[in-house]
Amino acid sequence: MNFENFFWILQIFIAIGLIGSSIAAIRFKNLIAAVIAMAVFSLALSVEFYVLQAPDVAIAEAGVGAGLTTAMYLLAIRNTTDEEVVE
Amino acid sequence: MTPESLFMGAMILLFLSATLTMIRMLLGPTIPDRVVALDALTTTTAGAMVLYGVITEQAVIIDVALVYAVLSYIATLYIARYLVKRRVGLA
Repeated sequence: MNFENFFWILQIFIAIGLIGSSIAAIRFKNLIAAVIAMAVFSLALSVEFYVLQAPDVAIAEAGVGAGLTTAMYLLAIRNTTDEEVVE
Repeated sequence: MTPESLFMGAMILLFLSATLTMIRMLLGPTIPDRVVALDALTTTTAGAMVLYGVITEQAVIIDVALVYAVLSYIATLYIARYLVKRRVGLA
């Protein structure tokens, strides 16, 4: 296997992960499940930055996506309810 | 067969198992299923990141795997603490 084929196979896997997790983050009714889907989305985005030869951007994305936004969304959910309210 | 192609095959297998774990994350019935799937997905992808650094011979890339492993541990801890105690933070 040469590196070109390997690169495109990797791109296909990352694209499947990005699309699946973003659709899940939009459509989940339980907000904790949506936060978990957002964490998976940021993981896939970090891997994508990293395959495209930008390791510093990937470090920033990993820090913000995995640590900060998960904690802040959970703080926000704690002060409200964890089910989506349909009017 | 060179060692690089062996590493490439191992990394493709890791991504395949990450895809299976993501299917469990998408259709897991309860929240703890999804949290465990997220943790397994992060660990698998950190291993794949180290393999990619070995393939492309860039030592910078391994730092990203270290940062991601530590931060995903913190995120899993936060979610578990919310699920058990309904509380987030140190107190």
